[in-house]
Amino acid sequence: MNIFKIKKILTSTVTHTILIAVALTCVFPVFWMISSSLKTQSQIFSSMSLLPGPLLDILNWNWSNYITAFVKADFGQYFFNSVFYTVVGVFFIILISSLAAYAFSRLEFRGKNFLFYLLIATLLIPIPGVFVPLYLLLKNLSLLDTRTGLLLCYISNGLAFAIFLLKGFFDELPREIEEAALIDGASRFGIYWRIALPLAKPAIATLVIMNSLTIWNEFLLALVVLQDKAKMPIQRGLMVFQGTYITDYPLLMAGLTIATIPIVIVYLLMQKHIVKGIAAGALKG
Amino acid sequence: MKITPKEKLGNFIFVIPALVLFLIFSLYPILRTFELSVFQWNGIDKNMLFVGFAQYKHILFNNPAFWKSMANAGIITVLALTLQNGLALLLALLVTKNIRGENIYRTIFFLPPVLSGIVVGLIWKFVFDGNFGILNHFLTSIGFSNFADYAWLSEVRTALFSVAVVHMWKGFGYGFIILLAGLQTIPVELYEAAEVDGADSWQQFKNITFPLLIPIFTIVSILTILGSMQIFDLIYSMTRGGPAGHTHVPITKIYEYMSNGEFGYSTAMAVVFGMVLLIISFAQIYASKKLNYNNR
Amino acid sequence: MSKLKIFLSVNLCFALMLGVFAGCKPREVKPKADVVIWHWMTDRQAAFEQLADKYYKETGVKVLFETYAPTDVYKNKISAAATANLLPDIFNPLGDKKEVASYINADFIADLTEEMSRDNWKDIFFSKALAQNTFEPGNEWNVKPGIYAVPLDVNSLMIYYNKDLFKQAGLDPEKYPKTWPEFMEAGKKLRAANIQPFVSGFGEGWLIGAFAQSYEWNLFGRDGVLQVLEGKIPYTDPRWVRIFKLFEEMKNNKLFASGIVTMVNKDAERSFATGKSAMAFNGSWGVNVYHSMNPDLNYGVMPPPYLPEAKFPLLMFGGEGSSLFVNKSSANKQKAIDFLRWLTQDEQQTFLAKETLNIPSNKEVAKDLPPALRVFSENIKNTFEVLPKIESWQVTNYINLNLQSVIIGERTPKSAAEEVQAEKERQMKAGR
Repeated sequence: MNIFKIKKILTSTVTHTILIAVALTCVFPVFWMISSSLKTQSQIFSSMSLLPGPLLDILNWNWSNYITAFVKADFGQYFFNSVFYTVVGVFFIILISSLAAYAFSRLEFRGKNFLFYLLIATLLIPIPGVFVPLYLLLKNLSLLDTRTGLLLCYISNGLAFAIFLLKGFFDELPREIEEAALIDGASRFGIYWRIALPLAKPAIATLVIMNSLTIWNEFLLALVVLQDKAKMPIQRGLMVFQGTYITDYPLLMAGLTIATIPIVIVYLLMQKHIVKGIAAGALKG
Repeated sequence: MKITPKEKLGNFIFVIPALVLFLIFSLYPILRTFELSVFQWNGIDKNMLFVGFAQYKHILFNNPAFWKSMANAGIITVLALTLQNGLALLLALLVTKNIRGENIYRTIFFLPPVLSGIVVGLIWKFVFDGNFGILNHFLTSIGFSNFADYAWLSEVRTALFSVAVVHMWKGFGYGFIILLAGLQTIPVELYEAAEVDGADSWQQFKNITFPLLIPIFTIVSILTILGSMQIFDLIYSMTRGGPAGHTHVPITKIYEYMSNGEFGYSTAMAVVFGMVLLIISFAQIYASKKLNYNNR
Repeated sequence: MSKLKIFLSVNLCFALMLGVFAGCKPREVKPKADVVIWHWMTDRQAAFEQLADKYYKETGVKVLFETYAPTDVYKNKISAAATANLLPDIFNPLGDKKEVASYINADFIADLTEEMSRDNWKDIFFSKALAQNTFEPGNEWNVKPGIYAVPLDVNSLMIYYNKDLFKQAGLDPEKYPKTWPEFMEAGKKLRAANIQPFVSGFGEGWLIGAFAQSYEWNLFGRDGVLQVLEGKIPYTDPRWVRIFKLFEEMKNNKLFASGIVTMVNKDAERSFATGKSAMAFNGSWGVNVYHSMNPDLNYGVMPPPYLPEAKFPLLMFGGEGSSLFVNKSSANKQKAIDFLRWLTQDEQQTFLAKETLNIPSNKEVAKDLPPALRVFSENIKNTFEVLPKIESWQVTNYINLNLQSVIIGERTPKSAAEEVQAEKERQMKAGR
């Protein structure tokens, strides 16, 4: 009994040591980013201290940097755009890719394998080459400088990997329930919608996180495709602090912190769905 | 079950939205890329000079720097496949063990991928800096005084490896969440049954977790291969391909040619690079399929 | 049945979406301004906007400055817009002369010769800045001779030195090293006093190349430099080997700051501004940068030390800093040119110089500057001469790479020179 207990304590100590060590390296940059955002420009260069000032003086740290950054970067204007692109883009990526992935995994149709591998192959062509053809295409479709044009690029860009990941998940799900439902007279779409999709929740949550991150941080395509400032995403605002010659580090860090928060929130919301029990519970039912 | 042609057509509707978008916004631009790659063109001139496969020939036989960059990306990829994914798997397994604070860990491990490349580049340059870098500070304090002003990113011996470390640190979070999601699809009953049979944790891992995770490994390793071979931002912000070109990777090379007005040539490079990736990825899919069948 | 409905509605929804997109009429692009300028100088946006307001009040012409940064993104945007024929009224392709030539030959850039000759507009500029925007008769790209851009500011590259650190190492802060041997001695003394002697953004190829080129002018003179470009003098010439040797000497005497070969200029600037390095090879913009990082920095400026054995004057990288080109097919071409004319007049140039601490392209205005900047503006006359030929980017790249190789001790000066020469021969064979 005692040996068992010691062993247990030992394992848990080792486990936590590993986890804490890795966790520290992940937290440090965030800490540094926030700390830098509360310094002054000359403090950034002169002091190496990790805190912006004495802890007791916390109220006097440069909290106003956040307001300045928000106003100077026009975040108010860009924020809505980024939320819009991310929400709509991710929604359509998930919807369209899950439909296709389900078909690739479960249904029979002509040219299935060919199409699937063609899709995967596009994952592999590096973007720089595709840039100009894509731009000309948008021009020919009169989609330059439109939200739609940018969104369509984002959606199609996210599809291949999403289909690949979801097909992998669907393949692993047991077919028994679906077959039973089919015998009960459910339609293929009904099975996809009622059974397969809920079971793929962990995969979908993963995809939501990854695609939100991609779209939220993307700015190269947005800057090239869009002209109108009113349609630009939040990353456009961050440009203001990185001058050709002078970078305003405190404001840049404050801006980056602001721009990171929504993604962290998305992650927190979504990771709840990647929790033990959901898939298993559904299987029992 | 027999499938009627009508059903087949109905089934096809599932893929139509994906197919339409894919054809217009992915396949068409890619085909245009192929077309551009047989022209010598700077992206501006009104007329493009048709050169056939001359540029391909040049890339294949006369551009050792490009193949060197490919090898660099290859090294980073191999490191990432082993170390990064090993770490991701270890952490995913530890976190699913119902330990205390698992929620906090789950959140923290995804911070590196969320962080902006600007912050990551700045902070790691700060770590590796020769003069006042955190790493050298640490090494000298534990007695390695010859590291007093060793510039990790500027020495041929360590530059590529240092960049690879940062890349793996930034990337393990992805593998971590996908593996975590994959672990969720394994029914708990299997473990419960194994426990009843008296299987220890290693046996459970070997006989249940590992075989059932193989398809997830395929996904993670494809993602790792693509992410590592196509590494760009980190290299650009940390070394710009230096010292003396020793950390160049294919995408930085392609950008270099493109920004110097070699548009046609750089698209040909992109195509060659894409082909290499294609071969690697399909070999990988094929291998894991085999592994999967052997395990069943 | 209801499931079928959902299924159909999903597809319908999608079809509708596509329909809406396809049906989207090419909305008429409402001109929000008479003249649109795309630029990359983020840190000058505020000053530009003030000037645009002023111009609107004076003339009723609305000018819109749009920033796209960093420069890579800007370049992407310009070239994409060019392929689709959607360039703004005023822009800059941000390329070397060869690239600019292809924009001109593709009819994207207006010839400003006539306009700039009117009312002696062109005479207000530093002649060097103008020369860099001029194509001479018989140029190798077959561009119609003329002036194609309006310079906005100028710059030059020199060595900043920290007076306090000089004093600390026992050097006279008012007497900077003038010759290469003096420079080496100063470097050794600084190193002995535990101070890093020299820093620069040598990770960004062009800065290391600019430093080397100073000595190319020093050793070869105008005709020699031109002959190297034409391939008549090989890079294996003892003088070019000597240039590579200079970097080896700096390395052997431990002049370089740690990590210099992968350092970008912003990091180098930080190193100098925080007193981590005693000398910095940097451009005139550094005055503003150092001021923002450390207002109390006590520094002087010196030209790169010349070689005592050299027969020609040592020249420095510099001249045109940023210029603006006018879109040839712009509907508001005249308005755009008029605005540029206004922008380069004394009053506006004084304002820009004061706001952005850059040297204005208007040479009269450039006489009245803060002392640190004046050194640079007086130095414009010592910048590289404009030559009718440029080196191919591949060879330039090879020079920069091999200079880095020498610094990290991977190549000897001789083998580095041979590498460059081999590339030069490959390029000459390919380009004929």
